[in-house]
Amino acid sequence: MKKMVCLALAVMMAFTLAACGSSNESNKQNNAAGTGASSGETRTLKFAALETAYGKAIWEEVAAAFEKQVPNVKVDMTIEKNIEDVIGPSMKSGEFPDVIHLAVGQPKGLTETFVKDNNMTELTDVLSMTIPGEEGKVGEKIIPGFVDTTITNPYNDGKTYLMPMFYSPTGLFYNAGLFEQKGWDVPATWDEMWTLGDQAKAEGIALFAYPTTGYFDSFFYALLNEVGGPEFFTKAMNYTEGIWQSGEAGQAFDIISKLAAYTEKTVPANGNKDNFTKNQQLILDNKALFMPNGTWVVNEMGNAPRAEGFQWGFTALPAVTDGGDRYSYTFFEQIWVPAKAENADLAKQFIAYLYSDEAAQIFAKSGAVQPISGMSDKLDGDNKLFYSIYDQGAKAAMGAFVSTAPVEGVNISDTVFGSIDSLVTGAKTRQDWVEAITKASDALRSAQ
Amino acid sequence: MPSTSGRSRFIFFCLAPAVVLFVVFLFIPSIDVFRMSLYKWGGYTDTKTFVGLNNFSKLFQSEKFYQVFQNSILLIVVVTIITFALALLFAALLSRGKLKGTNGYRVVFYIPNILSVVVISAIFSAIYDPSNGLLNSILQLFRVIDEPVLWLGDQKIVIYSLAGAMIWQAVGYYMVMYMASMANIPESLYESANLEGASPAHQFFTITIPLIWTNIRTTLTFFIISTINMSFLFVTAMTSGGPDGATEVFLSYMYKEAYTNSSYGYGMAIGVVVFLFSFALAGILNAVTKRDHLEY
Amino acid sequence: MSSYSAMQERKGKGVLYKFISYIPLLLLTVIIVIPVGWAFTASIKENAEFYGSPWALPKGVYLQNFADSWLKANMGDYMLNSVLVTAMSIALLLAIALPAAYVLARYRFRGNVLWNTMFMAGLFINVNYIVVPIFLMLNEGDKLSRTFFGQPILLNNMVVLALVYAAMALPFTIYLLAGYFKSLSKEYEEAAAVDGAGHFRTMIQVIMPMARPAIITIILFNFLSFWNEYIISMTLLTKPEFKTLPVGLMNLMAAQKSAVEYGQLYAGLVIVMLPTLLIYILVQKKLTQGMTMGGLKG
Repeated sequence: MKKMVCLALAVMMAFTLAACGSSNESNKQNNAAGTGASSGETRTLKFAALETAYGKAIWEEVAAAFEKQVPNVKVDMTIEKNIEDVIGPSMKSGEFPDVIHLAVGQPKGLTETFVKDNNMTELTDVLSMTIPGEEGKVGEKIIPGFVDTTITNPYNDGKTYLMPMFYSPTGLFYNAGLFEQKGWDVPATWDEMWTLGDQAKAEGIALFAYPTTGYFDSFFYALLNEVGGPEFFTKAMNYTEGIWQSGEAGQAFDIISKLAAYTEKTVPANGNKDNFTKNQQLILDNKALFMPNGTWVVNEMGNAPRAEGFQWGFTALPAVTDGGDRYSYTFFEQIWVPAKAENADLAKQFIAYLYSDEAAQIFAKSGAVQPISGMSDKLDGDNKLFYSIYDQGAKAAMGAFVSTAPVEGVNISDTVFGSIDSLVTGAKTRQDWVEAITKASDALRSAQ
Repeated sequence: MPSTSGRSRFIFFCLAPAVVLFVVFLFIPSIDVFRMSLYKWGGYTDTKTFVGLNNFSKLFQSEKFYQVFQNSILLIVVVTIITFALALLFAALLSRGKLKGTNGYRVVFYIPNILSVVVISAIFSAIYDPSNGLLNSILQLFRVIDEPVLWLGDQKIVIYSLAGAMIWQAVGYYMVMYMASMANIPESLYESANLEGASPAHQFFTITIPLIWTNIRTTLTFFIISTINMSFLFVTAMTSGGPDGATEVFLSYMYKEAYTNSSYGYGMAIGVVVFLFSFALAGILNAVTKRDHLEY
Repeated sequence: MSSYSAMQERKGKGVLYKFISYIPLLLLTVIIVIPVGWAFTASIKENAEFYGSPWALPKGVYLQNFADSWLKANMGDYMLNSVLVTAMSIALLLAIALPAAYVLARYRFRGNVLWNTMFMAGLFINVNYIVVPIFLMLNEGDKLSRTFFGQPILLNNMVVLALVYAAMALPFTIYLLAGYFKSLSKEYEEAAAVDGAGHFRTMIQVIMPMARPAIITIILFNFLSFWNEYIISMTLLTKPEFKTLPVGLMNLMAAQKSAVEYGQLYAGLVIVMLPTLLIYILVQKKLTQGMTMGGLKG
C-alpha cells in the first residue's frame, strides 16, 4: 500500500512537478559520467566534517593536497556546524559519506549511535598502512596510548574503529593575572583549593564556574584517575558492579558535591548551548576563579572584553592528596568510516594521509594539533603553554564511558553530568545523584 | 437543476486532492509512528526487531517519563489558563471598549506571534539573564528581590519562565481569533443591554462569552495541541531541556530518545502516548464545555 | 430627571472604565515593544558590545553585521529559497483546501461525515512526530524513482516540501474555511442555480469572493507558519544550497566550540523577522476589513 502511494506520487511528480530541483541534478550526473569516461576512473570520496573553531579552510586545503597526492580522486566535502542535522537524514535513507570527522559527545550523539549499532568499519589496518607520500606507517607516528582508549576501541577487543584526530589537553582555566595581583598560588591539592575558595568568597569571587554540565566529562574522567588510578577508571568506564559504592568513587563524589557548593550561583541558568559563553565570561570578569575547559576557549572568547591585566592560565586538576597524581584529560576528536561506506578503501587511504607531515602542517597552522609525535614542539604562543602541561608532571587521561547497545530511557552522561546543575541549585542531594548513577550503570552493564 | 452525476463529479474533484494529500502526508506517516512504536530500532541500521508492547511497558516504568509528563501537563495548564484569560480580556477591551487606537494595539499585540521561536528565545534569554537581564534589574530597582532570581537556572522556576515566553507569544494570536468572532455579534444586543443599564463587565459575561462559546471551545483544543508543539520548539531553543531535565517536555524527550539515545522505537512509543493523551484531553474538554448553541 | 442623572452617572463610569482599560493595553504594549525593539538594536551592535549589559544602547550603527549575514552566512540565498517555498505552499494550499472545505461545508453526500471527522482528527497530528516517517516514505519513493528515472526526485525538491507544508496546514485550513462557509446563507447558491450557474461556477464566482476575508486570514496564518518552519525543511532539504531562512539561522546559532558572531546572528534574526513584520503590517488592514465584513452576514 505504502509503496503504491509512493509510486503514484513519484509518477505524478515526474509529470507535473519535476521541473524544480531535479534539472541541476541530471546535469551534474551527466558531467560526472562524461569525465569518468574520458579519464579512466575518477573516484569520488565523500567526506563530512563538523565545522569547528579551526574553520573549514584547513579541510579544503588538505583535501586539495590529497587530490594531488593520489591521482584520479576527487574529495566531495560537506562541512557544516550542524553536520549531524545535515548528514543524519540522508544516512537514514542509506546514503553514507565515506569518511566522517565527528567526535563523540556531540549534542545529537551521532557518532555514539554508530558505535552502539556496530555500524562502523574497522580501522585497525590503517595503523599498519604506509602514509601516502611518506615511508613510515601510521601506527608509528601516532603518540602511544591514543589508539588504545575506550573511545578508539569501543568494544574492548583490541580493534580500532575510530582514529584519533585533533587533541587538546583539558583542565582548569583561570585568570593568571588575577592570581598574580592577589598574590594567590594556584592550588596543587583539593584542600588548598577549598582554602582558596573561602579566601575568594571573602572578596566576593566564586571559586568555580562551568560552561555547561557537559564540560564535566573531562573533569570527571580526570578526577576518577586521580582518586583510583587508570585501572579503577577503566573499571568505572565499563560499569563494573559496585564501583560507585567504592571508597574511591565516594571521594570523587565528595569533591564534586563540595565544588557544587562553591560554584557561582548563576551558572545553571546559562548552562545551555546558547548561553554558555556567559558562564565563560565569569572568568574573564573575575567573578569566578576556575572553569573546566579545553584550549579552544581562547579562540571562542577571543572577542570578549576582559578584566584589566587578564591573562589565560591553565592547570591540571589539583591532586587528591599532597604529592598525589595530577591529571589532565586529553580531549580528542575522531574520524571514522561508516560500515556502509561505498569507498572504504579510499577512505582508509585518506585517513592515513591525514597523518602525513604535509597534512599535519596545514592543520597546525590553524591550531589544530594531531596526536603525532613531536607535533607539540612546533607550537607557539598560548598553545605552547597548554600543550606543555604534560611536560610539567600532569598525567594524561583518555577514554570515556563505554558505548553499549541502546537502553531505552537511560543516558549515562545526562545522569552523571547533567545532575550537577541540580547539585548546585540544591534540587538534588549527593545521595540522589549516586543512586541514579548506580541505577543507570547497572542498566548499561547488562546491555554490554 | 444540474444533474446528480455532475454533482458527484464536482464533489469528487473538489475533495480528491485534499484527501490524497491528507492520506499520503498525514495519515500514513501517523500510522507509521504507531507501527514503529512496536519495534526496537537504532535508526540507521536495517535490523528492526519486533518487541510488541515492550517499549510501552518500559515507558510507564520510567521515572524520567513521569517527570516529562508532569512538566508537559503543567505547561499545558498554566499556558492555557493565562493565555485564554488575557486573550479574552484584551479582545473584549479592543472590540467593545470604544477606545482610541484600537487598531494600533491589535497590530502590536499580534507581533510576537509572527516571530520565529528562535528569535523569541534569543530575546527571552536576554530578559531572563540572571545578572544583567531586564527582569531582575527592574525587580531589584523596586526592591522586590535582593538576590537575583535564576529564571532559567532554578528547577522550580524555570518551567514558569518558559510558560511566560510562550504566553507572550500566544496571547495576540488567540486575541485576534476572539476578536474576529466578537465582531460577528450584532451591535443591537449591546445597545439593548446598555439601555437596560448593564455594566460592560456584565455584558461581557452575559452576551460576549455565550455568543463566542463555540469559538472558545475550539480554541481550547488548539491550546492543547499547540502547547505540546510550541513547548518543544521553545525548550529546544531556550533550555535544551535543562537544567537537569527540569524543562524536558513530551516531544523534546521523544527526540532525545529517538535520536541521541538510538532508541527510535521507544521514541515513537512516546509519540503514540502523547498523541493519545492529547486526543483524550481534548475529548474530555470538549464534553465538559458542551453548551446549547446560541443564535444571535 | 432621574433618567438624566442615571445617564450622567453612566457617562462618568464610562470615562473611568476607559481610563482603566488603557492600563493593561499600555502595559502589554510595553512588554511587547521593548523586547522586539531590543532585537533590532542588538543587530547593529558590534560583537564586543554583546559582552556587556544587553540593555545598553548600541554605540553606533554597525551595518556590517547585515552585510556579513547576507553574504558570508548566505542568508540572502536562503531568503530566496524561503520565498519560493512559502509562495508555492500557499498557492497549493489554497487550490486544494478551498474546494474541499466548500464541498465539506455545503454539500451532503456519502462520506461527508467521514472526511469531516478525518480532517478534524488531523488537527491532532503533530508535525514534529511524523517528520521522520514522511522522510522515510519519500526516501522509499526516491529508491523507486532511481530505478525509473535514474535519479531521486522527491527529497531535496522544494515542490515536495511545499506539498508537505500544504498537507500539514490542510486540517486547520479546512476547519477554518468550512466553519466560514457553513455560516453563509443557502440563498446564494439557490439564487445562482436559478441563474443557471453550475456547481463549479457557483463556487468560483459566487462563494469565493464572499470568502475573501477568510482567505486572507488563511494566507496570513500560513505564511507565518511556513516562513518560520524549520524542522520539516531541515529534514527534507538536506543539501546546503536548499536551506530555508530559519534553518540558516539555526546554523548561525549552532556555535558550539567555535567563535561566536553575535552581531551576525542578530542581523540574521532581523532578516528573518523583517519580511513577516512588513507583510503583516500591510495585510493586517485587509484583515480588519475582513473582520467587519464578516459582521454583515448575520
